[in-house]
Amino acid sequence: MPNYRIHKTEYIDETKRVSFKYDGKTYFGYEGDTLASALLANGIHLVGRSFKYHRPRGIVSCGAEEPNAICQIGSKKDLTEPNVRATELELYEGLEASSQNCWPNVKFDIGGINNFISPLIPAGFYYKTFMWPKSFWKKVYEPLIRLSAGLGKSPTEPDPDIYDHKYVHYDVLVIGGGVSGIIAAKMAAKNNLKTLLVDDKKILGGSTIYQNNESIKIDNKLSSEWLKNEIQEIKKLSNLTIKTRTSIAAYHGYNFLLAKENLTDHLPEEKKKNKIRQRLWKIRAKKVVIATGSIERPLVFNNNDRPGILLSNSINKYLDYYGVTCGENIILFTNNDSAYETSISLHKKGIKNLIVDLRKSASSEIIKQAESLGIKIYFNHVVTNTFGYRKINSLEIMKLSEDGNTTVGDKIKLSCDCLGMSGGWTPMVHMHTQSGGKLDFRNEDQVFLPKENSEDQISVGSCNGDFDLENIIDKTVNKINKFLDIDNQDYQDTNIICSKENDKRNIWLLPNKIPLGKTKCFIDFQNDSTAKDIKLALKEGFRSIEHVKRYTTTGMATDQGKLSNMHALGIIADTAGVKMGTLGTTTFRPPFTPLTFGTIVGRNVGKFFEVVRKTSMHEWHVKNNAEFENVGQWKRPWYYPKNGENMHDAVQRESKAARDSAGILDASTLGKIDIQGTDASEFLNRVYTNAWSKLAIGKCRYGLMLNEDGMVYDDGVTTRISENHYLMTTTTGGAANVLSKLEDYLQTEWPELDVYLTSVTDHYSTASICGPNSKKILNKLFPNLDLSDENFPHMSFKEAKLENINCRIMRISFTGELSYEINIESKYGHSLWKMCIEAGKEFNLTPYGTETMHLLRAEKGFIIVGQDTDGTMTPSDLQMDWIVSKKKYDFIGKRSLYRSDTIREDRKQLVGLLTDDPKEILEEGAQIVSDIKSKPIDMLGHVTSSYFSPNLNKSIALAVVRSGKTMKGQKLIIPMENKNINVTVSDTIFLDKENKRLNA
Amino acid sequence: MLEILHPNISNNNKNNIDINLSEEKIKINIRGKNKEFFTKVGKILSIILPSESNTSSSNENYDVLWLSPDEWIVYFDENKNSNIFDQLYKDISSLKFGSITDISSQLICINIKGENIFELLSSGSPFNFEKFKNNVGSSTQTIVNHIDVILHHKSKNNVNLFVRRSFSEHLYEWLVDSSNFV
Repeated sequence: MPNYRIHKTEYIDETKRVSFKYDGKTYFGYEGDTLASALLANGIHLVGRSFKYHRPRGIVSCGAEEPNAICQIGSKKDLTEPNVRATELELYEGLEASSQNCWPNVKFDIGGINNFISPLIPAGFYYKTFMWPKSFWKKVYEPLIRLSAGLGKSPTEPDPDIYDHKYVHYDVLVIGGGVSGIIAAKMAAKNNLKTLLVDDKKILGGSTIYQNNESIKIDNKLSSEWLKNEIQEIKKLSNLTIKTRTSIAAYHGYNFLLAKENLTDHLPEEKKKNKIRQRLWKIRAKKVVIATGSIERPLVFNNNDRPGILLSNSINKYLDYYGVTCGENIILFTNNDSAYETSISLHKKGIKNLIVDLRKSASSEIIKQAESLGIKIYFNHVVTNTFGYRKINSLEIMKLSEDGNTTVGDKIKLSCDCLGMSGGWTPMVHMHTQSGGKLDFRNEDQVFLPKENSEDQISVGSCNGDFDLENIIDKTVNKINKFLDIDNQDYQDTNIICSKENDKRNIWLLPNKIPLGKTKCFIDFQNDSTAKDIKLALKEGFRSIEHVKRYTTTGMATDQGKLSNMHALGIIADTAGVKMGTLGTTTFRPPFTPLTFGTIVGRNVGKFFEVVRKTSMHEWHVKNNAEFENVGQWKRPWYYPKNGENMHDAVQRESKAARDSAGILDASTLGKIDIQGTDASEFLNRVYTNAWSKLAIGKCRYGLMLNEDGMVYDDGVTTRISENHYLMTTTTGGAANVLSKLEDYLQTEWPELDVYLTSVTDHYSTASICGPNSKKILNKLFPNLDLSDENFPHMSFKEAKLENINCRIMRISFTGELSYEINIESKYGHSLWKMCIEAGKEFNLTPYGTETMHLLRAEKGFIIVGQDTDGTMTPSDLQMDWIVSKKKYDFIGKRSLYRSDTIREDRKQLVGLLTDDPKEILEEGAQIVSDIKSKPIDMLGHVTSSYFSPNLNKSIALAVVRSGKTMKGQKLIIPMENKNINVTVSDTIFLDKENKRLNA
Repeated sequence: MLEILHPNISNNNKNNIDINLSEEKIKINIRGKNKEFFTKVGKILSIILPSESNTSSSNENYDVLWLSPDEWIVYFDENKNSNIFDQLYKDISSLKFGSITDISSQLICINIKGENIFELLSSGSPFNFEKFKNNVGSSTQTIVNHIDVILHHKSKNNVNLFVRRSFSEHLYEWLVDSSNFV
């Protein structure tokens, strides 16, 4: 097996050999390797197939920008993970990885046929082709596209890993642990600011940490040595927290950032157990320093995507950091000086290399150094083609014309086993733009740079367009001093020697004698979009970069176009003849690098998926086999099945029992608001549509609350406890919002009112007993309480004692039956419920859940806000005009009730529906029509509530129907998938219109 | 026979974090803004209501937490003075000086003690505990694991957490689970 690890470095521990499997074969690397560096050390460049053409693809970079080396990790159904970048994955013992998007294997991929038919499938092919014949879409095209879509395989079983979230607050957050980030962090921390420095790599230092060029020195030391000292120093600073393996995923407004920390991804499986895999840090920082560096650009030429073609700087990192050479005969193709550092490093290690430089000439120190070492340089030349199927083996270069628009002279064929490309550098402005920052365009080297307009955020280093070390350090120090309003002198006398780049030449799409249509000049390696595709998009009329992006899918892969976006923009600008700076960029959206779902969710899985509220009686419901329904966050008993009953049977039994004898409901979840103050009555007058001033002490009243737009917002019964003291109930789901709304009104609209609100929803537990025998049960519980209709009539309340504990009993009804609601302090709630059940045994007191409650109230035509209303219903629409006071000066929503739209007679209005077949139960949400044949069919409304009533022995429904009030007796149709159901519009009250049962 | 049933919260100790139910406490919400209100409260509780946000006042019997410019919560062991609610209600609510509401069962008190408690709370709370943890007596209203809570820094690394009863078991389970990972 070839070994491309040619020298030792301090970052690779060669005493710790690590075995791993790639595509089923076992290889070895060392602790400190990434999967990519270990593969390269084993001579493996071919790591996958491209998405569309299935072309062989190799490792291109050494970081988050990697478009090709994305792997499937693991094979377990619960732990396998697709699209992991080999360049970011640290090697660990037992790692299993495989290449993606190929079958049967990466070397021979059936999908490779796409490459041969590529002229037939250009950009936009899908949109144009699958339009016809229409019938093919569902049966042929869609199944085929679905079969071939996607990269990698998702796990099919729940993720067993542990993830966590944590909030932190800092004075200063520094993003990026390169030289500028380290300086910024040191300056901030030494100025007593609580500082956090994050970097996505295992160690700090960025690209300077492995820099070993003698022409780049700081204080007479190699820049890497100087930086190591700096890192040692900052590690001693007590108010600086350093988080490595941590990448910022998103930068939101007001300096709120999300960062993902990898905690165990680099550990062997046995060491991962019971540890948090990844943690999402939710960071609030007063000030943010962005020092995210820059990414080297590729160059766009024919067949620039073969395995063995890498970014030049990545070749340098693999060599100087990992000790791995990417080839033995390397050609570097560049338009700037940075490739020369790679060349000199390769030369030092004895690796044969030469340079092809776009520029006509260049005269910086580093170029002189390369020339003095005898490195061959082809100035004013361009690579026009490459060769080799599974790995590059040669290439052709040609001389550029004077204007750089074409090639001249003869082709020169050069053999090689690796090509490094360097098209300059793109500042990583993602964080700046995510935070809302704008960009400027610097024409000189064609880069977008952060436009500084915030006092709380700054960009430093190469992400700010400063590329040489002297500039980086000087400007970072000056900017940080100003940004933090400090006067740090630590770097005042720092002596920096570095080569200065004097000459630049950028050509976005390199010229070629071969017509563009016959070339494969890739821009987006992962999504297989080429320069030809961009030009086609322009030819077809797309101008906006956002449209071109979507038409060609450039920049839409998992790498989010880190390597491709600038070239796409450049080619658009050149082709359309516009200035690149005026085009703008596509939107930089979070996350910067993909996050696992686990990281996003954290511990909110399993029983913590959703917050759960329980009543004090919950334990009894569980013991008695209740099925639960989520209402808001509450777990409410839905029904109590007995002897294998289904829901229908249980509900029929429960509702019959409630009507025939007695039923009991846990009503603790209803919102309860304690209202006190001298203006409490006036407050209620303003809140509800009906009048409250004359409500006597000890009496209860139903109220309807509207929004400002006149639409029904909430409802409930309010009880007058004393002169200035009320207890309001709200719907279960609306409780929190109602309290907030009312408190808001008191604080902003009605500050003159002397009213105080306090939530007591959880303080009281409520057992609601209804049915003809409810009075008898209550009598057993409260033998000293006079329950006569005279003393305790409907809609009144009494204080009573159960044993020695105070209770509030309201005689109110949501079922139409004689009914009492007993409220007790919640710590006694469970006991109260048990006592009720015990007392009710002889009367067949039957516990019922929300489903029966819904049925019972529907029989009486009582609405449920949120079920029979949807935010568009006025009281009049609900046929509840009776509850709107005509005399009151004002209440919330009153004015809106007189708008032309709210007084329309053809609004949707609440009605009852009876099916012609009394056994037929309508589906809630079903549409209602009058004429099934008209086209387009006229939808009149929809069913809001529907049940089979055992008490009426027929199906009943409530619905909202256009002009429903005037349609009583009219026949309508409910069109269903397989049949039409005939119904008749009826009154909304189906049972006991005379309310006799209330006093039964 | 009426029995008391508290939420199912048992003692838990992990990673230097003790989590305990601290019930048998009376909690009263008191609201008001006029001079008579402050006088009455001061007289009955022998305490000056804290006027600075996120602070508390304490004496040997009572702890009073600031909730808003006109709202406080007073809590105390129920065996200290069980008639205090009636007294406050009579002298304040009934005399129209403000509002007194018993919320003893509305809120459950969970006591969290130990060196790592703020690490634990930071797993689920966006609140910045930097000043809070250095100031005994601080109080705050925030969220922990999406649930509204009131926190009272009773003594160093000792926090009383008040949460609505209905949420209390869920929050307790979350606290126990998260204490594994601080």
